[in-house]
Amino acid sequence: MIEVESLTKRYGTVRAVDELSFTAHSGAVTGFLGPNGAGKSTTMRVVVGLERPTSGTATVDGRRYADLAAPLHAVGVMLDARSVHPGRTAFRHLLAQARTHGISRKRVDEVIGMTGLESVAGRRAGTFSLGMGQRLGIAGALLGDPGTLILDEPVNGLDPDGVLWVRRLVRELADEGRTVLLSSHLMHELALCADRVVIIGKGRLLADAPVQEIIDRSTGAASLEDAYLQLTADSVQYRGRSADDSATTPTAGSTR
Amino acid sequence: MTVAAPTRPGVTFSRVLAAEWTKLLSVRSTLWTVVGTILAAASLAFALGMFVRPDSGQSGSSLIVSGYLLAQLGTLVLGVMVGTGEYSVGTFRVTFTAVPRRLPVLLAQALITAVVALATAVGALLASFLVTVGQRGAGGLTVDLTDGATVRVLVDYVCFLVGVAVVGLGIGALLRRPTAALVTGVLVLVVFDHLLAVNPGRVTDTVRALLPGSGARLTMDDATLTALDATTLGPQLGPWGGGVVLGLWAVGLLIAAGYRLRRHDLA
Ligand SMILES: Nc1ncnc2c1ncn2[C@@H]1O[C@H](COP(=O)(O)OP(=O)(O)OP(=O)(O)O)[C@@H](O)[C@H]1O
Ligand SMILES: [Mg+2]
Repeated sequence: MIEVESLTKRYGTVRAVDELSFTAHSGAVTGFLGPNGAGKSTTMRVVVGLERPTSGTATVDGRRYADLAAPLHAVGVMLDARSVHPGRTAFRHLLAQARTHGISRKRVDEVIGMTGLESVAGRRAGTFSLGMGQRLGIAGALLGDPGTLILDEPVNGLDPDGVLWVRRLVRELADEGRTVLLSSHLMHELALCADRVVIIGKGRLLADAPVQEIIDRSTGAASLEDAYLQLTADSVQYRGRSADDSATTPTAGSTR
Repeated sequence: MTVAAPTRPGVTFSRVLAAEWTKLLSVRSTLWTVVGTILAAASLAFALGMFVRPDSGQSGSSLIVSGYLLAQLGTLVLGVMVGTGEYSVGTFRVTFTAVPRRLPVLLAQALITAVVALATAVGALLASFLVTVGQRGAGGLTVDLTDGATVRVLVDYVCFLVGVAVVGLGIGALLRRPTAALVTGVLVLVVFDHLLAVNPGRVTDTVRALLPGSGARLTMDDATLTALDATTLGPQLGPWGGGVVLGLWAVGLLIAAGYRLRRHDLA
Protein backbone atom coordinates (compact mmCIF):
# COMPACT_ATOMS: atom_id res chain seq x y z
CA MET A 1 0.00 0.00 0.00
CA ILE A 2 1.28 3.41 -0.96
CA GLU A 3 0.03 6.35 1.08
CA VAL A 4 0.62 9.91 -0.01
CA GLU A 5 -0.51 12.54 2.48
CA SER A 6 -0.68 16.31 1.91
CA LEU A 7 2.40 15.99 -0.23
CA THR A 8 3.89 19.21 -1.54
CA LYS A 9 7.04 19.47 -3.63
CA ARG A 10 8.29 22.88 -4.67
CA TYR A 11 11.12 23.66 -7.08
CA GLY A 12 11.90 27.29 -6.47
CA THR A 13 8.57 28.95 -7.13
CA VAL A 14 7.06 26.01 -9.04
CA ARG A 15 4.70 23.86 -7.03
CA ALA A 16 5.16 20.57 -8.88
CA VAL A 17 3.02 18.72 -6.34
CA ASP A 18 0.53 20.62 -4.23
CA GLU A 19 -1.09 19.19 -1.09
CA LEU A 20 -1.65 15.86 -2.82
CA SER A 21 -3.22 12.98 -0.91
CA PHE A 22 -4.17 9.55 -2.22
CA THR A 23 -3.74 5.89 -1.44
CA ALA A 24 -2.83 3.05 -3.77
CA HIS A 25 -4.24 -0.10 -2.19
CA SER A 26 -2.83 -3.59 -2.25
CA GLY A 27 -4.54 -6.02 -4.58
CA ALA A 28 -5.37 -3.26 -7.03
CA VAL A 29 -3.91 -1.51 -10.04
CA THR A 30 -4.03 2.24 -9.47
CA GLY A 31 -3.74 4.34 -12.61
CA PHE A 32 -1.98 7.67 -12.12
CA LEU A 33 -3.11 10.26 -14.67
CA GLY A 34 -2.63 13.89 -15.46
CA PRO A 35 -1.48 16.22 -18.22
CA ASN A 36 2.20 16.76 -19.01
CA GLY A 37 3.87 18.48 -16.09
CA ALA A 38 1.06 17.60 -13.68
CA GLY A 39 3.52 16.15 -11.16
CA LYS A 40 3.16 12.38 -11.62
CA SER A 41 6.84 11.60 -12.01
CA THR A 42 7.71 14.04 -9.23
CA THR A 43 5.30 12.30 -6.87
CA MET A 44 6.86 8.94 -7.73
CA ARG A 45 10.39 10.24 -7.18
CA VAL A 46 9.39 11.51 -3.75
CA VAL A 47 7.71 8.20 -2.87
CA VAL A 48 10.91 6.26 -3.63
CA GLY A 49 13.07 8.68 -1.68
CA LEU A 50 15.06 10.22 -4.53
CA GLU A 51 13.67 13.60 -3.55
CA ARG A 52 12.46 15.03 -0.27
CA PRO A 53 8.98 16.42 0.07
CA THR A 54 8.75 20.13 0.82
CA SER A 55 5.99 19.09 3.21
CA GLY A 56 3.73 16.13 3.73
CA THR A 57 4.60 12.44 3.71
CA ALA A 58 4.76 9.46 1.42
CA THR A 59 5.00 5.91 2.74
CA VAL A 60 5.02 2.35 1.42
CA ASP A 61 3.36 -0.17 3.73
CA GLY A 62 3.50 2.45 6.45
CA ARG A 63 7.25 3.09 6.19
CA ARG A 64 9.30 5.77 4.55
CA TYR A 65 11.06 4.30 1.51
CA ALA A 66 14.46 5.42 2.82
CA ASP A 67 13.90 3.35 5.96
CA LEU A 68 13.38 0.07 4.09
CA ALA A 69 16.13 -2.47 4.76
CA ALA A 70 15.51 -4.34 1.51
CA PRO A 71 13.86 -1.85 -0.84
CA LEU A 72 14.05 -4.03 -3.96
CA HIS A 73 12.06 -6.75 -2.20
CA ALA A 74 9.47 -4.23 -1.02
CA VAL A 75 9.10 -1.92 -4.01
CA GLY A 76 9.85 -2.44 -7.70
CA VAL A 77 10.53 0.86 -9.40
CA MET A 78 10.74 1.90 -13.02
CA LEU A 79 10.98 5.65 -13.38
CA ASP A 80 12.88 6.21 -16.58
CA ALA A 81 13.73 3.49 -19.06
CA ARG A 82 16.77 5.50 -20.11
CA SER A 83 18.46 4.87 -16.77
CA VAL A 84 20.97 2.44 -18.24
CA HIS A 85 24.66 2.80 -19.03
CA PRO A 86 24.83 2.46 -22.81
CA GLY A 87 28.05 0.46 -22.61
CA ARG A 88 26.80 -2.12 -20.12
CA THR A 89 24.97 -5.26 -21.18
CA ALA A 90 21.39 -5.79 -20.05
CA PHE A 91 22.48 -8.76 -17.97
CA ARG A 92 25.24 -6.86 -16.17
CA HIS A 93 22.91 -3.92 -15.58
CA LEU A 94 20.43 -6.20 -13.83
CA LEU A 95 23.15 -8.18 -12.08
CA ALA A 96 24.61 -5.03 -10.51
CA GLN A 97 21.16 -4.10 -9.27
CA ALA A 98 20.57 -7.64 -7.95
CA ARG A 99 23.89 -7.74 -6.11
CA THR A 100 22.95 -4.85 -3.82
CA HIS A 101 20.44 -7.26 -2.26
CA GLY A 102 22.26 -10.56 -2.76
CA ILE A 103 19.68 -11.59 -5.35
CA SER A 104 20.85 -14.61 -7.38
CA ARG A 105 21.88 -14.78 -11.03
CA LYS A 106 19.07 -17.27 -11.45
CA ARG A 107 16.56 -14.57 -10.61
CA VAL A 108 18.27 -12.19 -13.04
CA ASP A 109 17.85 -14.80 -15.78
CA GLU A 110 14.25 -15.27 -14.70
CA VAL A 111 13.27 -11.61 -15.09
CA ILE A 112 15.13 -11.51 -18.40
CA GLY A 113 12.96 -14.42 -19.47
CA MET A 114 9.79 -12.79 -18.15
CA THR A 115 10.44 -9.65 -20.20
CA GLY A 116 11.42 -11.60 -23.31
CA LEU A 117 14.95 -10.20 -23.50
CA GLU A 118 16.85 -13.55 -23.55
CA SER A 119 18.24 -13.06 -27.03
CA VAL A 120 19.67 -9.60 -26.28
CA ALA A 121 20.69 -9.99 -22.62
CA GLY A 122 24.35 -10.00 -23.62
CA ARG A 123 24.09 -6.92 -25.80
CA ARG A 124 25.08 -3.43 -24.73
CA ALA A 125 22.01 -1.48 -23.63
CA GLY A 126 23.03 1.48 -25.79
CA THR A 127 22.00 -0.53 -28.84
CA PHE A 128 18.49 -1.13 -27.51
CA SER A 129 15.34 0.28 -29.06
CA LEU A 130 12.90 2.30 -26.95
CA GLY A 131 10.73 -0.72 -26.24
CA MET A 132 13.67 -2.98 -25.42
CA GLY A 133 14.93 -0.41 -22.93
CA GLN A 134 11.46 -0.22 -21.45
CA ARG A 135 11.40 -3.99 -21.00
CA LEU A 136 14.79 -3.82 -19.30
CA GLY A 137 13.41 -1.22 -16.90
CA ILE A 138 10.44 -3.43 -16.10
CA ALA A 139 12.78 -6.40 -15.60
CA GLY A 140 14.66 -4.33 -13.00
CA ALA A 141 11.42 -3.52 -11.20
CA LEU A 142 10.53 -7.22 -10.99
CA LEU A 143 13.96 -8.36 -9.71
CA GLY A 144 13.17 -8.44 -6.02
CA ASP A 145 9.70 -9.97 -6.47
CA PRO A 146 8.32 -6.92 -4.67
CA GLY A 147 4.94 -6.45 -3.02
CA THR A 148 4.59 -2.98 -4.52
CA LEU A 149 5.30 -1.76 -8.04
CA ILE A 150 5.74 1.84 -9.12
CA LEU A 151 5.90 2.17 -12.89
CA ASP A 152 6.17 5.49 -14.69
CA GLU A 153 4.68 5.13 -18.18
CA PRO A 154 5.60 1.45 -18.52
CA VAL A 155 3.90 0.91 -21.87
CA ASN A 156 5.51 3.97 -23.46
CA GLY A 157 7.24 2.67 -26.58
CA LEU A 158 6.06 -0.92 -26.31
CA ASP A 159 4.67 -2.73 -29.33
CA PRO A 160 1.04 -3.93 -29.17
CA ASP A 161 2.21 -7.32 -27.97
CA GLY A 162 4.22 -5.64 -25.22
CA VAL A 163 1.28 -3.46 -24.20
CA LEU A 164 -0.89 -6.53 -23.85
CA TRP A 165 1.84 -8.25 -21.87
CA VAL A 166 2.14 -5.34 -19.40
CA ARG A 167 -1.65 -5.22 -19.04
CA ARG A 168 -1.74 -8.93 -18.14
CA LEU A 169 1.34 -8.67 -15.95
CA VAL A 170 0.05 -5.84 -13.75
CA ARG A 171 -3.36 -7.55 -13.49
CA GLU A 172 -1.70 -10.78 -12.35
CA LEU A 173 0.50 -8.95 -9.87
CA ALA A 174 -2.48 -7.11 -8.38
CA ASP A 175 -4.53 -10.30 -8.26
CA GLU A 176 -1.73 -11.85 -6.21
CA GLY A 177 -2.36 -9.10 -3.67
CA ARG A 178 0.38 -6.67 -4.69
CA THR A 179 0.08 -2.92 -4.99
CA VAL A 180 0.57 -1.47 -8.47
CA LEU A 181 0.82 2.27 -9.14
CA LEU A 182 1.25 3.03 -12.81
CA SER A 183 1.19 6.28 -14.70
CA SER A 184 0.13 6.49 -18.29
CA HIS A 185 -1.35 8.78 -20.91
CA LEU A 186 -3.11 5.91 -22.66
CA MET A 187 -6.71 6.10 -21.45
CA HIS A 188 -7.94 3.06 -23.30
CA GLU A 189 -5.15 1.03 -21.83
CA LEU A 190 -5.85 2.20 -18.30
CA ALA A 191 -9.57 1.63 -18.68
CA LEU A 192 -8.67 -1.98 -19.42
CA CYS A 193 -6.21 -2.68 -16.62
CA ALA A 194 -6.75 -0.22 -13.75
CA ASP A 195 -9.17 -0.75 -10.89
CA ARG A 196 -8.94 2.80 -9.77
CA VAL A 197 -7.52 6.01 -11.12
CA VAL A 198 -5.99 9.01 -9.43
CA ILE A 199 -6.11 12.08 -11.66
CA ILE A 200 -3.98 15.14 -10.90
CA GLY A 201 -3.55 18.49 -12.59
CA LYS A 202 -0.97 21.19 -11.73
CA GLY A 203 0.06 19.06 -8.77
CA ARG A 204 -3.42 18.95 -7.23
CA LEU A 205 -5.80 16.04 -6.87
CA LEU A 206 -8.68 16.20 -9.36
CA ALA A 207 -10.25 12.78 -8.90
CA ASP A 208 -9.61 9.54 -7.04
CA ALA A 209 -12.18 6.83 -7.72
CA PRO A 210 -12.84 3.49 -9.44
CA VAL A 211 -12.74 3.77 -13.23
CA GLN A 212 -16.47 3.22 -13.72
CA GLU A 213 -17.36 5.77 -11.08
CA ILE A 214 -15.21 8.42 -12.78
CA ILE A 215 -17.00 7.80 -16.07
CA ASP A 216 -20.46 7.79 -14.46
CA ARG A 217 -19.85 11.01 -12.54
CA SER A 218 -18.87 13.02 -15.60
CA THR A 219 -21.79 14.38 -17.57
CA GLY A 220 -22.16 12.76 -20.94
CA ALA A 221 -18.87 10.88 -20.73
CA ALA A 222 -18.89 7.53 -22.49
CA SER A 223 -15.29 6.57 -21.77
CA LEU A 224 -12.47 7.19 -19.34
CA GLU A 225 -10.92 9.42 -21.98
CA ASP A 226 -13.99 11.68 -22.14
CA ALA A 227 -14.15 11.90 -18.37
CA TYR A 228 -10.43 12.60 -18.13
CA LEU A 229 -10.58 15.39 -20.71
CA GLN A 230 -13.44 17.04 -18.86
CA LEU A 231 -11.72 16.76 -15.48
CA THR A 232 -8.38 18.11 -16.66
CA ALA A 233 -9.69 20.78 -19.06
CA ASP A 234 -8.61 23.60 -16.74
CA SER A 235 -5.31 22.01 -15.73
CA VAL A 236 -3.63 21.48 -19.08
CA GLN A 237 -0.48 23.62 -19.09
CA TYR A 238 1.00 22.71 -22.45
CA ARG A 239 -1.52 22.66 -25.25
CA GLY A 240 -0.67 22.16 -28.88
CA ARG A 241 -2.31 24.25 -31.57
CA SER A 242 -3.10 23.47 -35.15
CA ALA A 243 -0.63 24.78 -37.69
CA ASP A 244 -3.17 27.39 -38.90
CA ASP A 245 -3.75 28.77 -35.41
CA SER A 246 -0.06 29.19 -34.68
CA ALA A 247 0.45 31.01 -37.96
CA THR A 248 -2.26 33.58 -37.20
CA THR A 249 -1.27 34.13 -33.57
CA PRO A 250 2.45 34.73 -33.70
CA THR A 251 4.29 34.39 -30.37
CA ALA A 252 1.19 34.46 -28.23
CA GLY A 253 3.51 33.72 -25.35
CA SER A 254 2.79 31.83 -22.20
CA THR A 255 -0.80 31.79 -20.96
CA ARG A 256 0.37 31.42 -17.40
CA MET B 1 32.21 -4.83 6.83
CA THR B 2 29.29 -7.12 7.50
CA VAL B 3 29.12 -10.38 5.61
CA ALA B 4 25.55 -11.55 5.74
CA ALA B 5 24.34 -15.07 5.20
CA PRO B 6 23.45 -15.41 1.52
CA THR B 7 19.80 -15.97 2.29
CA ARG B 8 19.27 -12.86 4.38
CA PRO B 9 17.56 -10.31 2.21
CA GLY B 10 18.57 -6.70 2.27
CA VAL B 11 21.30 -4.24 1.54
CA THR B 12 24.68 -4.76 3.20
CA PHE B 13 27.90 -2.93 2.59
CA SER B 14 29.59 -5.97 1.08
CA ARG B 15 26.70 -6.33 -1.37
CA VAL B 16 26.93 -2.69 -2.38
CA LEU B 17 30.64 -3.25 -2.89
CA ALA B 18 29.93 -6.27 -5.11
CA ALA B 19 27.39 -4.27 -7.12
CA GLU B 20 29.79 -1.37 -7.68
CA TRP B 21 32.49 -3.81 -8.67
CA THR B 22 30.18 -5.39 -11.24
CA LYS B 23 29.33 -1.96 -12.63
CA LEU B 24 32.93 -0.81 -12.96
CA LEU B 25 34.12 -4.02 -14.62
CA SER B 26 31.19 -4.17 -17.02
CA VAL B 27 32.04 -1.06 -19.02
CA ARG B 28 34.96 -1.03 -21.42
CA SER B 29 36.02 2.52 -20.58
CA THR B 30 37.44 1.24 -17.28
CA LEU B 31 39.83 -1.14 -19.01
CA TRP B 32 40.83 1.48 -21.56
CA THR B 33 41.57 4.01 -18.84
CA VAL B 34 43.75 1.55 -16.95
CA VAL B 35 45.65 0.44 -20.06
CA GLY B 36 45.94 4.01 -21.33
CA THR B 37 47.35 5.20 -18.01
CA ILE B 38 49.98 2.48 -17.92
CA LEU B 39 51.00 3.12 -21.52
CA ALA B 40 51.14 6.89 -21.02
CA ALA B 41 53.24 6.57 -17.86
CA ALA B 42 55.71 4.15 -19.43
CA SER B 43 55.96 6.13 -22.68
CA LEU B 44 56.71 9.37 -20.89
CA ALA B 45 59.31 7.70 -18.67
CA PHE B 46 60.90 6.21 -21.78
CA ALA B 47 60.83 9.54 -23.62
CA LEU B 48 62.45 11.36 -20.70
CA GLY B 49 64.95 8.52 -20.41
CA MET B 50 66.32 9.43 -23.81
CA PHE B 51 67.71 12.63 -22.33
CA VAL B 52 69.57 10.94 -19.49
CA ARG B 53 73.25 11.85 -19.52
CA PRO B 54 75.89 9.73 -17.86
CA ASP B 55 77.14 11.20 -14.59
CA SER B 56 74.11 13.49 -14.31
CA GLY B 57 73.70 12.42 -10.70
CA GLN B 58 70.05 11.57 -11.33
CA SER B 59 68.66 8.60 -9.42
CA GLY B 60 67.25 5.59 -11.22
CA SER B 61 63.99 5.72 -9.28
CA SER B 62 63.36 9.32 -10.32
CA LEU B 63 63.46 8.24 -13.96
CA ILE B 64 61.03 5.37 -13.36
CA VAL B 65 58.46 7.64 -11.70
CA SER B 66 58.93 10.51 -14.16
CA GLY B 67 55.81 9.33 -16.07
CA TYR B 68 53.67 10.59 -13.18
CA LEU B 69 52.90 13.77 -15.14
CA LEU B 70 50.67 11.79 -17.49
CA ALA B 71 49.79 8.95 -15.11
CA GLN B 72 48.10 11.38 -12.73
CA LEU B 73 45.75 12.44 -15.53
CA GLY B 74 44.88 8.77 -16.08
CA THR B 75 43.89 8.01 -12.51
CA LEU B 76 42.17 11.40 -12.28
CA VAL B 77 40.01 10.36 -15.24
CA LEU B 78 39.33 7.01 -13.57
CA GLY B 79 38.07 8.71 -10.40
CA VAL B 80 36.04 11.30 -12.29
CA MET B 81 34.44 8.55 -14.38
CA VAL B 82 33.33 6.61 -11.32
CA GLY B 83 32.18 9.76 -9.55
CA THR B 84 30.14 11.24 -12.40
CA GLY B 85 29.17 8.14 -14.40
CA GLU B 86 25.90 7.52 -12.61
CA TYR B 87 24.75 11.08 -13.21
CA SER B 88 25.80 11.44 -16.82
CA VAL B 89 23.85 8.37 -17.93
CA GLY B 90 21.01 8.53 -15.39
CA THR B 91 21.68 5.22 -13.62
CA PHE B 92 21.75 7.05 -10.30
CA ARG B 93 17.99 6.57 -10.10
CA VAL B 94 18.37 2.81 -10.29
CA THR B 95 21.34 2.80 -7.93
CA PHE B 96 19.82 4.97 -5.23
CA THR B 97 16.40 3.35 -5.26
CA ALA B 98 18.23 0.08 -4.56
CA VAL B 99 20.40 1.71 -1.86
CA PRO B 100 18.33 4.57 -0.45
CA ARG B 101 20.82 5.25 2.34
CA ARG B 102 23.14 6.43 -0.45
CA LEU B 103 26.39 6.82 1.51
CA PRO B 104 27.40 3.13 1.22
CA VAL B 105 27.47 3.63 -2.56
CA LEU B 106 29.92 6.54 -2.32
CA LEU B 107 32.09 4.65 0.14
CA ALA B 108 32.08 1.54 -2.06
CA GLN B 109 32.99 3.66 -5.09
CA ALA B 110 35.87 5.21 -3.16
CA LEU B 111 37.23 1.80 -2.16
CA ILE B 112 36.89 0.35 -5.63
CA THR B 113 38.43 3.39 -7.27
CA ALA B 114 41.36 3.14 -4.87
CA VAL B 115 41.84 -0.56 -5.61
CA VAL B 116 41.72 -0.12 -9.39
CA ALA B 117 44.01 2.92 -9.15
CA LEU B 118 46.42 0.89 -7.02
CA ALA B 119 46.54 -1.87 -9.63
CA THR B 120 46.97 0.73 -12.37
CA ALA B 121 49.77 2.50 -10.51
CA VAL B 122 51.65 -0.74 -9.83
CA GLY B 123 51.24 -1.63 -13.50
CA ALA B 124 52.55 1.77 -14.53
CA LEU B 125 55.49 1.41 -12.16
CA LEU B 126 56.44 -2.02 -13.51
CA ALA B 127 56.03 -0.93 -17.12
CA SER B 128 58.13 2.19 -16.52
CA PHE B 129 60.74 0.10 -14.76
CA LEU B 130 60.97 -2.30 -17.68
CA VAL B 131 61.03 0.20 -20.55
CA THR B 132 63.81 2.22 -18.93
CA VAL B 133 66.13 -0.72 -18.13
CA GLY B 134 68.43 -0.04 -21.06
CA GLN B 135 68.52 3.70 -20.55
CA ARG B 136 69.37 3.32 -16.87
CA GLY B 137 72.15 0.91 -17.75
CA ALA B 138 73.63 3.27 -20.32
CA GLY B 139 73.35 6.30 -18.07
CA GLY B 140 74.68 4.53 -15.00
CA LEU B 141 71.47 5.07 -13.02
CA THR B 142 71.01 2.42 -10.38
CA VAL B 143 67.88 1.28 -8.61
CA ASP B 144 68.78 -0.20 -5.25
CA LEU B 145 65.70 -1.81 -3.71
CA THR B 146 67.47 -2.17 -0.37
CA ASP B 147 67.82 1.60 -0.20
CA GLY B 148 65.05 3.19 1.89
CA ALA B 149 64.97 6.44 -0.08
CA THR B 150 64.57 4.59 -3.39
CA VAL B 151 61.77 2.41 -2.09
CA ARG B 152 60.05 5.47 -0.62
CA VAL B 153 59.87 7.16 -4.01
CA LEU B 154 58.52 4.03 -5.71
CA VAL B 155 55.90 3.38 -3.05
CA ASP B 156 54.93 7.03 -2.86
CA TYR B 157 54.43 7.15 -6.63
CA VAL B 158 51.74 4.50 -6.18
CA CYS B 159 50.25 6.35 -3.19
CA PHE B 160 50.15 9.58 -5.18
CA LEU B 161 48.28 8.03 -8.10
CA VAL B 162 45.76 6.38 -5.75
CA GLY B 163 45.27 9.69 -3.94
CA VAL B 164 44.66 11.51 -7.23
CA ALA B 165 42.04 8.91 -8.22
CA VAL B 166 40.15 9.42 -4.96
CA VAL B 167 40.38 13.20 -5.36
CA GLY B 168 38.94 12.73 -8.88
CA LEU B 169 36.12 10.64 -7.46
CA GLY B 170 35.39 13.28 -4.84
CA ILE B 171 35.32 16.13 -7.36
CA GLY B 172 33.19 14.02 -9.71
CA ALA B 173 30.68 13.01 -7.06
CA LEU B 174 30.49 16.60 -5.88
CA LEU B 175 30.06 18.28 -9.28
CA ARG B 176 28.27 15.37 -11.04
CA ARG B 177 29.38 16.64 -14.46
CA PRO B 178 32.28 14.85 -16.13
CA THR B 179 33.70 17.80 -18.05
CA ALA B 180 33.45 20.25 -15.17
CA ALA B 181 34.98 17.70 -12.81
CA LEU B 182 37.85 16.87 -15.13
CA VAL B 183 38.67 20.52 -15.76
CA THR B 184 38.53 21.27 -12.03
CA GLY B 185 40.77 18.30 -11.32
CA VAL B 186 43.39 19.37 -13.85
CA LEU B 187 43.28 22.94 -12.52
CA VAL B 188 43.86 22.05 -8.87
CA LEU B 189 46.37 19.29 -9.60
CA VAL B 190 48.49 20.85 -12.31
CA VAL B 191 47.57 24.24 -13.72
CA PHE B 192 47.27 26.39 -10.58
CA ASP B 193 50.58 25.04 -9.33
CA HIS B 194 52.33 26.08 -12.52
CA LEU B 195 50.66 29.49 -12.63
CA LEU B 196 51.55 30.23 -9.02
CA ALA B 197 55.12 29.04 -9.53
CA VAL B 198 55.65 31.97 -11.90
CA ASN B 199 55.34 34.40 -9.03
CA PRO B 200 57.05 33.00 -5.90
CA GLY B 201 56.24 34.59 -2.59
CA ARG B 202 54.91 33.80 0.86
CA VAL B 203 51.29 33.67 -0.22
CA THR B 204 51.69 31.88 -3.55
CA ASP B 205 54.07 29.31 -2.11
CA THR B 206 51.70 28.64 0.77
CA VAL B 207 48.77 28.18 -1.60
CA ARG B 208 50.83 25.87 -3.78
CA ALA B 209 51.72 23.76 -0.76
CA LEU B 210 48.07 23.45 0.21
CA LEU B 211 46.70 22.52 -3.23
CA PRO B 212 46.19 18.81 -4.01
CA GLY B 213 48.93 19.21 -6.62
CA SER B 214 51.51 19.30 -3.84
CA GLY B 215 50.89 15.54 -3.63
CA ALA B 216 53.22 15.31 -6.62
CA ARG B 217 56.05 15.82 -4.11
CA LEU B 218 55.55 12.17 -3.28
CA THR B 219 57.17 11.30 -6.59
CA MET B 220 60.31 13.35 -5.93
CA ASP B 221 63.50 12.03 -4.43
CA ASP B 222 64.97 13.36 -1.22
CA ALA B 223 67.49 15.66 -2.88
CA THR B 224 64.82 17.40 -4.95
CA LEU B 225 62.56 17.80 -1.93
CA THR B 226 65.34 19.27 0.16
CA ALA B 227 66.08 21.75 -2.60
CA LEU B 228 62.40 22.68 -2.86
CA ASP B 229 62.00 23.14 0.88
CA ALA B 230 65.14 25.30 0.97
CA THR B 231 63.78 27.77 -1.59
CA THR B 232 60.08 27.88 -0.65
CA LEU B 233 58.70 30.89 1.19
CA GLY B 234 55.69 28.84 2.32
CA PRO B 235 55.55 25.82 4.63
CA GLN B 236 58.26 23.17 4.26
CA LEU B 237 56.45 19.90 3.65
CA GLY B 238 59.32 17.41 3.85
CA PRO B 239 58.93 14.00 2.23
CA TRP B 240 55.44 13.25 3.59
CA GLY B 241 53.73 16.63 3.79
CA GLY B 242 52.56 16.60 0.18
CA GLY B 243 50.95 13.20 0.69
CA VAL B 244 49.18 14.42 3.80
CA VAL B 245 47.81 17.43 1.90
CA LEU B 246 46.57 15.19 -0.92
CA GLY B 247 45.03 12.75 1.56
CA LEU B 248 43.22 15.55 3.37
CA TRP B 249 41.83 16.80 0.07
CA ALA B 250 40.63 13.31 -0.80
CA VAL B 251 38.88 12.92 2.55
CA GLY B 252 37.50 16.46 2.52
CA LEU B 253 36.08 16.10 -0.98
CA LEU B 254 34.48 12.76 -0.10
CA ILE B 255 32.87 14.33 2.96
CA ALA B 256 31.55 17.23 0.87
CA ALA B 257 30.25 14.84 -1.80
CA GLY B 258 28.66 12.68 0.91
CA TYR B 259 26.99 15.73 2.39
CA ARG B 260 25.53 16.72 -0.97
CA LEU B 261 24.43 13.15 -1.66
CA ARG B 262 22.80 12.70 1.71
CA ARG B 263 21.16 16.08 2.16
CA HIS B 264 19.98 17.01 -1.30
CA ASP B 265 17.56 15.75 -3.93
CA LEU B 266 18.73 13.43 -6.65
CA ALA B 267 17.23 14.89 -9.78
N1 LIG C 1 14.26 18.89 -10.99
C1 LIG C 1 13.32 19.78 -11.30
N2 LIG C 1 13.58 21.10 -11.19
C2 LIG C 1 12.64 22.02 -11.48
N3 LIG C 1 11.40 21.74 -11.88
C3 LIG C 1 11.08 20.45 -12.00
C4 LIG C 1 12.01 19.40 -11.73
N4 LIG C 1 11.39 18.22 -11.94
C5 LIG C 1 10.14 18.51 -12.34
N5 LIG C 1 9.94 19.84 -12.38
C6 LIG C 1 8.67 20.52 -12.73
O1 LIG C 1 7.65 19.92 -11.98
C7 LIG C 1 6.47 19.84 -12.73
C8 LIG C 1 5.97 18.41 -12.73
O2 LIG C 1 6.80 17.59 -13.52
P1 LIG C 1 6.62 16.02 -13.63
O3 LIG C 1 7.75 15.48 -14.41
O4 LIG C 1 6.36 15.45 -12.30
O5 LIG C 1 5.28 15.92 -14.52
P2 LIG C 1 4.57 14.62 -15.09
O6 LIG C 1 3.20 14.61 -14.55
O7 LIG C 1 5.40 13.42 -14.85
O8 LIG C 1 4.53 14.97 -16.64
P3 LIG C 1 4.63 14.00 -17.93
O9 LIG C 1 3.28 13.47 -18.17
O10 LIG C 1 5.04 14.95 -19.02
O11 LIG C 1 5.66 12.96 -17.64
C9 LIG C 1 6.81 20.39 -14.11
O12 LIG C 1 6.39 21.72 -14.15
C10 LIG C 1 8.30 20.30 -14.17
O13 LIG C 1 8.83 21.30 -14.99
MG1 LIG D 1 6.45 12.06 -16.10
